[in-house]
This record gives sequence, C-alpha cells and structure tokens, in this order.
Amino acid sequence: MTRDLDTAPVTAAPAVAAASPARRKGRRRIAAIAMIAGPGLVAANAGNDAAGIATYASAGSQFTYGTLFFMVLVTVALVMVQEMAVRLGAHTGKGLGALIREQFSLRLTALAVFCLGLANTGLVVSEFAGIGAAFELLGVPKWAVIPPAAFLLWSLVLFGSYKWAERIFLVMSLAFFAYPIAMVLGHPDWGRVGEHLAVPHIEPSKDFILLAVALIGTTVSPYMQFYAAAGVVDRGAKPEDYKLIRADAVLGAVFACLISLTIIIATASAIGGTGPLESAAQAAEALKPVAGHGAELLFAFGLIGASALAGAVVPLSASYAVGEAAGVERSVSRSFRDAPLFLGVFTAQIALGAIVALTPVDVIQLLIGTQVLQGLISPIVLVYLLVLTNRRSVLGEAANSPRYRVAATAVVVGVAGMSTILLVQTVLGWLGLA
Amino acid sequence: MASTTLLMSTTARLRDRKVDLERRAATTRTVRAYLVSVAGLVGGPVTNQPGEDVGRVVDIVARLYGPEPYPPVTGLIIRIGRRRTFLPATAIGKIHAGRVGLRTSRVDLREYVRRPGEVLLAREVMDHQLVDVDGVQVTRAADLYLAPQVDRTVLIGVDVSLATLLRRLGPRRWQVRPTPDRVLDWQSVAPFGEQATHGPAEVRLRASRSALHQLRPADLADILEDLGRHERQQLLGWLEPEHAADALEEMEPAELENLLREAPPEHAARLLDEMEPDEAADALRDLQPGERENLLARMPVGEASELRTLLTHREGTAGGAMTTVLVTARAGQTVAQVRAELAAQAEHRTEIDSVVVLDDDGRLVGDIPLFDVAVAEDAAPVGDLVEWLAQFGPPVTVRPDTRLAEAADQLVAARATSLLVVDETERPLGRILADDILDTLLPERGRLHFRRLLK
Repeated sequence: MTRDLDTAPVTAAPAVAAASPARRKGRRRIAAIAMIAGPGLVAANAGNDAAGIATYASAGSQFTYGTLFFMVLVTVALVMVQEMAVRLGAHTGKGLGALIREQFSLRLTALAVFCLGLANTGLVVSEFAGIGAAFELLGVPKWAVIPPAAFLLWSLVLFGSYKWAERIFLVMSLAFFAYPIAMVLGHPDWGRVGEHLAVPHIEPSKDFILLAVALIGTTVSPYMQFYAAAGVVDRGAKPEDYKLIRADAVLGAVFACLISLTIIIATASAIGGTGPLESAAQAAEALKPVAGHGAELLFAFGLIGASALAGAVVPLSASYAVGEAAGVERSVSRSFRDAPLFLGVFTAQIALGAIVALTPVDVIQLLIGTQVLQGLISPIVLVYLLVLTNRRSVLGEAANSPRYRVAATAVVVGVAGMSTILLVQTVLGWLGLA
Repeated sequence: MASTTLLMSTTARLRDRKVDLERRAATTRTVRAYLVSVAGLVGGPVTNQPGEDVGRVVDIVARLYGPEPYPPVTGLIIRIGRRRTFLPATAIGKIHAGRVGLRTSRVDLREYVRRPGEVLLAREVMDHQLVDVDGVQVTRAADLYLAPQVDRTVLIGVDVSLATLLRRLGPRRWQVRPTPDRVLDWQSVAPFGEQATHGPAEVRLRASRSALHQLRPADLADILEDLGRHERQQLLGWLEPEHAADALEEMEPAELENLLREAPPEHAARLLDEMEPDEAADALRDLQPGERENLLARMPVGEASELRTLLTHREGTAGGAMTTVLVTARAGQTVAQVRAELAAQAEHRTEIDSVVVLDDDGRLVGDIPLFDVAVAEDAAPVGDLVEWLAQFGPPVTVRPDTRLAEAADQLVAARATSLLVVDETERPLGRILADDILDTLLPERGRLHFRRLLK
C-alpha cells in the first residue's frame, strides 16, 4: 500500500483508530460497563455544556421553580426523540446523515445539513463563549483565551492525542455533579418544587416563551440525535441488541434531564427571583452551599471541562454527518489531507465559533441566544426523524406503531408550536405590533 | 540565467495548460451533448408521438444485473395525472436531456412489476453507496449518466463529484445539464440494488461476476469497512467465501467484529471456516461468549474443535497468535513425498514456513525450512536432512503460554522466520510466524478512519 503521509497524520492515528490490540482486552471490559453507563454519562455531560448551564441557571434565577413542569415535558420529548434516533441506528446500521440522503430528495438533504450546520455552529459558539466566561471568572480576559483555546482544540483533535485531553476534560466537567449536592444543601422549598413539577404551569409572557424555546434547544438539540444514532452504529449494535440500547438511551435522557432539574432548583434556591441571569459569577452562586468561597473556582473548572469536551465532539460529529450526507464518509480517509470536506467543515465550525464568541456581546445573552437558535431549528430536524421512523420501507417491523406515531407527532408539533410562537412574537415585535 | 529559464518554462507550462484546458473543454462539450443526466430526467416531461404532454418521469428502470456490459434501460415509470404507470422500453422513442419522447401516441396504464436484475435508478442507485473498483473506494452516486443509442439507451457512468451535488440543488435548467467532470465508467463500479438480486440464481451470479474480483484482499477489506451494513452483507454474499475470507483477515478487529455480528450466523460461520485458524480465533475472541458458541456450533466439527483449542490460549501469548497449520513428515519419508504433501497444502501457503519432522510418538525431531526442502535431492530421506540440520542446534521452540515479546526475542536470537509452539511433551501444537509477531509489535497501522465519535 502506498502511504505518502507526513508525520502529522500518523501521529493522529491514536486519536482516531481503535485501541491497540494489547490494551483491547481491558478496555473491552470497561466498554461492556460503558454500554450501560457510558452514553448516559456522555449525554448528561453534553447537556451540561456552557450553554446548558447558562440556560438552566437563567431559568432558575428568572422564574424560580416556574419552568419545572415544562422541563418534565421536555424530558418526555427527549426520551422519545433519543429512542427514535437509536432505533434508526440499530435497525439500519447507518448514520442519520446517510439515511437522510438516501431517503429524501437532495434539496431536503441540503436543508437538513444546513440546519444541522447552523445549529452546531451556534453550539460551538456557545462552547467557546463558555470557555471565555470561565476564564473571565478566573480573571483572564476572553480575547486572550479563546483564540489559543480554539487553536489548541483544533490541533488536538486533528494531530494530537485527543484521547488524553478528552479524559481530562471529562473529569473536569464532573465538577457539575456538585449541583445535586448543592441543591440539597441549599434547602429549596420542597413543597413548591413538588407542586411545580406536578402541576402544569406555563406563563404566557414573552420572556417565558423565549426561555422555554432555549430549554428545548439545549435539551433536545439537533446534534444529539445524530450523535446518538452514530454511537449505536459505531458500536455495531444489531436489532437484537435494541432492547439494551433503548434502555440505555432512555436512562441517559432521563439522567440528563434530572441533572438539568437539579441545576434549575439549585440556582432557584440560591438566586431565584432576581430576574434574568446576568453573569457567570451569578450562576456560580448556586454552588456556594457546596464549595463556599471556592464556588466560582469550581464553577469555572467545570465550565472549562464541559465546554472543551463539547467544543471538540460537536463539530466533529457534525462534520461526520455532513460528510455522510455528501457521500464521502470514510472513503477518502487514508489521510486527513485527502478529506477536504471533513477538514473544511470541522475547521470552519471551530473558526466561526471562536470568532463569534469573541464579539463583545454579553456572554449570558450569547449563550441563551445560541440555544434559542437550536430550539428554532430542532423541530425541523425532528420532522426528518419522525418521517424516517414512520417509514416501513426503512425500519420494517420496527417502524412507529400508529399509537407511537400519534405521540411522536404530538411531541414534534409541540416543539414546533413553541418555536413558531416565538418566531411570530419576534417578527411582530420587529413590526412594532406587539 | 536561471530565472530566465524558469520564466520560459513557466510560460511554456502555462501555454500547455491552456491548450490542455481548451481541449478538455471541447471534449467535455461533446461528451456533455451526448449524455443524459438521470437527475435531470426525473420530473421531466414525457411527450407522445404528436408532441403532446403525457406525463412526468418518476423513475428509470434498468437491468443492472443482466448479460450486457452496460445496463440497458428497460422502461420508465411515469406519472400521468395522479397515477403511476410503467412504460416498457419498446414504447420509448428517444430520451433527450430532461425529457422523453414516446414512439406511440397512446399509453397503456399498467403497474410496474420488478423483473429479476432490475433496479429503479433514481430511487435505488442514485444517492446510494457504490464501490469504485478502480479507485478502490466507497462513494455515493451524485448522478447517473445515460447514453441514448440507436435502438436503446444504456447506463454508462456514475458521477461522483461534489460539484454535481450543487448543480442538482440549483434550478431545473442546471439539473438537465450533465457535468461529467468526475465520472466513473459503469464497468468499474459495483452498485447495490436492494431487491435487484432477488430471483433466479443466475442474477446473483452476474452480480458476483462484477469487477470486484480484481480487488486485492487488503483493498476489499478497506471497502468492506467503509460500506453500510446492508451493502456490506450484500457484497459479502456476492464473493466466493475463500475470497471474502482473505479480505476478512485484513480487516481491523473492531470492524470485523461488527461484520461477523451482523452477518447471518450460517454465513459468518462459513467465512470463519475459510479463514486461517489463527485469524479466525482472533476474530472469535472478540465476540461475546454466546455469539462465539453460536458460530462455532455451525462450523464443521473438526474445525470448530481446532478453534476451541486455539481459543483456550490467551491473547498476547504464543498460543494465541500461532497458526495450527503444520506440514509434518517422518524421518523415513523421502523429500519427494514431502514436496507432494506441500503441494497439496497450497491453499495455506502463507502459513507454511517449514516442515516439522516427528518421531513415531509424534514428538518433535526437527524442523526443516522450506529452503532446505527445495534444494534437497528428491530421493533423499528426511532423516538425513534432520541430521544435517542438527549441527546448527536443536529447533527453536516456545510454549503456548510464552509472551509474544519473549517469543520475538527468541525469533531474533535464532535468526529464524518462524518458531514452533510445543506442549510439555514436545509435541508440536502450532507455529508462530514472523508476521504474527510483527503485527503485535508494531503500533496500530492502517488507514485513518474518522470515527463518528472520539474513542
């Protein structure tokens, strides 16, 4: 085989290739455990990125416990959406990008890819904004941090051993598991928490709808479906394994939402009712019951880990989906130089993300703004997912049953409804009618 | 001086390049006028003999797996009002870019029934995966090009460029225009049609006779790794099990594991049976115990028990990496007899490195490298060779539980190309080859795969 690789792609091999045979045995045992707990943890951490924390914290500070019932609805939606995504992956053995290309017209494929690209770039913006915010808590200005961080992340993924960096980021992001403890120590009003969890409560105000869409966006973000399906395909799961996979997806989704709920409750009991979240320092208040004066440090620590983790994985999985839809998924991957599309999409997302994150916009507004964007795009991607899982020609016996179809349609319509209301309100606002 | 030469050569190159570009443009124009884009045809009008609009093209039916080198168009599926109907090739007058003229003035409405070997080009081939045999890669068809001939229309090529995707996103005007910049000749392509190979066995046979056979096992392994689950199983079904097994031996362990898991158990067992025992044991070791038993139960008893024995050895030891293919001889045999035995084992030739000589109890007496077998006299007894070789010391052996790193040291010290693995009673169990040791010593090689997730 002719190999004209320079040294760089060769050193990149460990980051991308499977583990070496000698170590595989031990990793296999871990992988067997990770089959149950792994993706759940990853899902929870993906929800716990910078924008997620900002959105949940803002929900807590602005509406106290008012968004809890809505989060329960979002949890149901997330469970159903993730289940559909992994079902597609397990039964077809193909990523969502490839399935959309094969099942829809090219124009609809382009729309899906465009939406995913837009949503993901927004997400990358928020990750870099998160890194910037974390370092500002530590007293370092963001313009001094974001460009090197972007470059470091880019080169780590492409040339370096990202595997090690990933572990460090993962451990750092575990700092956010302080939230459940902070919630208990913060002595929230459990009666009101229970009441708001069980009794439907939705405020018709514009702020509430904006935040609700952001909550949808950050929880049911489009990239998650691609990620979940790809994960199943990569593990080579078969339809026979579907029960295990479904349990994993459902548990992961519920777990992710539970963590979100604790963030909302912890923030609500710390700074609830003080109006919209204003700064990362304010959000860090919620961790005071655990860390006291070290709350800001703990918060910054977790924020850096979670943002860096998502900042690499999000553009990578999006590039993969784009490559898949374009039909160059793995065919030209003998070296990175042979994969201009993949490399281009990946680089563009990181570059764009870092540049937008550098603009002197209020960080919290930027973070929530990107999640509103996700929330607006989410229903479009969900429609593809719904149509694919309804098709018997794709899934055969595993296609949605009539009852499930009604439920799933209701979820998609609900999500789309919220987005539409927000859009209409915004447009009316521009026109000066509202 | 040097700069003048440089300038001149640059000008000359530029001039050449311009001529070349012009020539290419001219060729492209000619080719373009000749080709019909399938993407542009779909949705295009169908007119009857008097020139009236009859309906719209929905899809193009072609016999993909027939006797012809280029698949002929066997009909069209068209939409008339809200009905879909099949139009056989005999009714088609001429296929133009973006439209179809009929030979008749009236159209019989009938349902399309798939005949063996047929596919719907727009729905089942375009935008789906296919194997580019010349370029040895998996790609997706961005567009398909038809060439209208005097009495029929054939499918001649596949467009795989990204620019074509952009063209298809544009207005209808663009879609009709072929852009044959990166086109693969149909004969160097292995397509997949989900239901096209259902039906009589000869259709399957034709599919399997495609260009795929030119591929080397390592290339085939790359392609198998790149394909989607369904396509991969279809491709495996087309290959001769021996050919497929050679490719499987070259695959990355994780990919092979997935492949064996997805395949119907009978087929997977058949493939494992065809693989070299050490590679098969490696593959089985990666599977769950239940899946492993399931496959072993479907294999011939002899091979299965051999693999079971291999599986008792740990990965990373000599026993785990050895091959059990051994050519044995007795001291009394002649070299000619040994050569005949070697010839009979030709299918294992990559695994045979020397001939093991045993005494009557089956214990190891000597190990004769193939070179010495090759240069010996036909009539010479094997015993003489063993005695002669004994002056260089006894054959180098390791135990099945020897670590591979240690085995590597011994191999280097002995300056041999393989080591015999023997049990406590000096009975040979197998042989560990230099390439097996290399595989474990070298860091992970092979291609870079962009995993969807970082691992």
